[in-house]
Amino acid sequence: MLLGALLATGSAAVASAADPEAGRRKAAPCAACHGPDGNATIPGTPSLAGQPAYFTHWQLLKYRDGRRQDAQMAPFAVNLTDEDMGDLAAFYAAQAPRQRASVVDTARVTAGEPLAKQHHCTSCHTPALTGQNQVPLLAGQDLAYLQKLLRGFRDGTASDLDGTMTMAARPLTPEDVENLAHYLASLTPTPPPR
Amino acid sequence: MRRNVAIVLTALLLGASALWLMPASAQQAPPAWKQGQPADLANSPLAPVPQPPAPKAPGEIPVDKIKLPAGFKASLWASGVNNARAMTWGDKGTLFVSSRVVGNVYAIVDKGNMREVKTIAKGLNQPNGVAFRNGTLYIAEIHRITKMEGIEDKLDSPPAMTVVYDTLPKDAPHGWKYLAFGPDGKLYFNIGAPCNICIPPDTHANISRVNPDGTGFEYWAFGVRNSVGFDWHPVTKELYFATHARDWMGEDVPSDRFDHAPTKGLHFGFPYCHQGDILDPEFGKGHSCGEFAAPLIKTGPHVAGNGVMFYTGSMFPAEYKNRAFLAQRGSWNRTQKSGYKVMMVTLRSGDVPKYETFAEGFLDGGGQPWGRPVYTTQMKDGSILLADDYAGAIYRITYQK
Repeated sequence: MLLGALLATGSAAVASAADPEAGRRKAAPCAACHGPDGNATIPGTPSLAGQPAYFTHWQLLKYRDGRRQDAQMAPFAVNLTDEDMGDLAAFYAAQAPRQRASVVDTARVTAGEPLAKQHHCTSCHTPALTGQNQVPLLAGQDLAYLQKLLRGFRDGTASDLDGTMTMAARPLTPEDVENLAHYLASLTPTPPPR
Repeated sequence: MRRNVAIVLTALLLGASALWLMPASAQQAPPAWKQGQPADLANSPLAPVPQPPAPKAPGEIPVDKIKLPAGFKASLWASGVNNARAMTWGDKGTLFVSSRVVGNVYAIVDKGNMREVKTIAKGLNQPNGVAFRNGTLYIAEIHRITKMEGIEDKLDSPPAMTVVYDTLPKDAPHGWKYLAFGPDGKLYFNIGAPCNICIPPDTHANISRVNPDGTGFEYWAFGVRNSVGFDWHPVTKELYFATHARDWMGEDVPSDRFDHAPTKGLHFGFPYCHQGDILDPEFGKGHSCGEFAAPLIKTGPHVAGNGVMFYTGSMFPAEYKNRAFLAQRGSWNRTQKSGYKVMMVTLRSGDVPKYETFAEGFLDGGGQPWGRPVYTTQMKDGSILLADDYAGAIYRITYQK
C-alpha cells in the first residue's frame, strides 16, 4: 500500500514507494520503548504514531548520521537503510495517535495556548498542531519529551534539521517553555490529513 | 593577536546577526520562510517545497521527461545521491558533490558502466559549497570553510577536515554557501541575508572571498540577497552571478536576477531596490533604484536560479561556446510554478543577452516537481552533468548531430 501524496497544498509525494507493512515488521524492536503501534507510555519517550512520514524518516536519518545524539537510539539507527527508514516512517504515519497520559497543569495550559500562535508554531505545525511533511505532530505528545526538546532547541543543544526550530525557540523564556509544553500535551491528537 | 581579533570579530558577528532590523509589524519572529509576509497574504497556502529525506530509486526518475533542444539527450548518470547539489572535479577524475539539508559530501567514481557513490562526510552544517585545487577539497558550510587534503587517494578513509576560515555568521537562513575558485586563485562564496526582507548587518547580503590559506578575507559585492551560483566568463574572467530575490511581494514581482560584477564594491540593491527598478515597500523609502547596479537579466519571479556555468566544451554546437547555463531550482512562493528549468544566457556585445530555455520537463502532470535542477558542471568530453537535489540524481546531457 503506497503512502499517497499528502493533500495539503504544496505538499509532495513520498520520494519512494515505502511499505508500511514491511515497516510494521521492522518496527518490532522499537515496540519496547515506543509501543507496538507507536503510542509510547514511558514518560520522556516520544510517541511516533501519526507522525508525518517525512518527519520520522528525517529523524532516523539524523540518528544514523550522528546529527541527533541519543545513546538509546543510536544502536537502533546505525544499520538502517534508506528503505528501512522509509518503511518505518510509513508504518508509524499510518498509526492512530493517542493522547499521552501526562498530568498537565490547567493554568499552564491556558497560558500556553496563545504562545503557540504568538511564536508561530501553527505556521509550520498547522493550526491543530498535527504537523505535516517534515514537521512533527505535537498535539498530545508526552509532556516530559516536549519539555526536553523545547529546552534543547532554546539552548541550542537539540539537533535542528535546518535551523528553523532553534530560531523559533530562542525567544522563549523558561516559563514559556513550560506553558507551551503543557498546552501541547493537553491537546487531543488527530492524524495529519491524507 | 590575530586570534584575539578573530574572537572579537566572531562575537560581533554573532551579536550583529541578532540585531538586524525587521519590518515593524513583526512581534515574535515567524519562521524564516514566512517573514515579511504581508497581512493580506496571511492565509496563503504557499510554503517551501518539503525536502524528501531519501533520494528517488532509479526506476522512479523519469529522465525521458527532460525536454532538450534537438540533438541533445539526457541520461541518468548517478542516482542515490541524496540531495545532490554543487559539483567539482578532482584532478584524478573524481566528482565531488555537495548537499544542503541532508549534510553529506559525496565522492563519485566513474567506473565506466556505472558510478560508485561514496559519502566522504556526513552530519555537516548544510555543506553546499565544494571546490577543488591542488589535491585538496574545500567544503563550505554555513559557519566555516574546511579542507580535506589528498582526498582523492583516500576516498574510502577520508582525511580529517581542517578549518580554512570560520569567522563567519552562523545564521541558518541563506547561510548555506556556493564556493568556487576565482581566476585570481581566491575562494569566493556568498553570505546571504539572514531573512527574507530586512536591513541586513554589514556582514551579510554579499559575495565575499578569502585566500585558500584563510587569510585576506574581503567583501566583493554588496546588496546581494542570496547568491548560490556564480562563474567567471572564460574570456573576460569577469564574475557573473545568480541571485534569489525576496518573497511575499506578489506572484510576479520581484524577478530573480542574473548579474555582472566586473569590479569589487558594487551594490546590487538589496534590501532597498529589487530587480533594478522596484523600491522595497518598507525599506525603499529615501532611496532610488538608480543608486544600485541593475540586473543584466531579470530571470523571472521566484525561479530560484542556482548554478551558473559558462560552457567551454566542443561537444555542443559552436554557438554554445561561452554560453552560461543557469539551473533554476524552481519556485515555492508562486501559485503557478516558475523555474524548474535550465536556462541559457548568450552574452552579446552591444546588445541585450539572449535568455532561452535549455532543459525543462521537471514538473509532473499535476504541476508538482519530480525533480529540481540545481547545478551543472562540464565533463572532459564536453557533455554536461546536471544535479537534481530533489530526486537525488545527476543527469548527463550529451549532443549528437
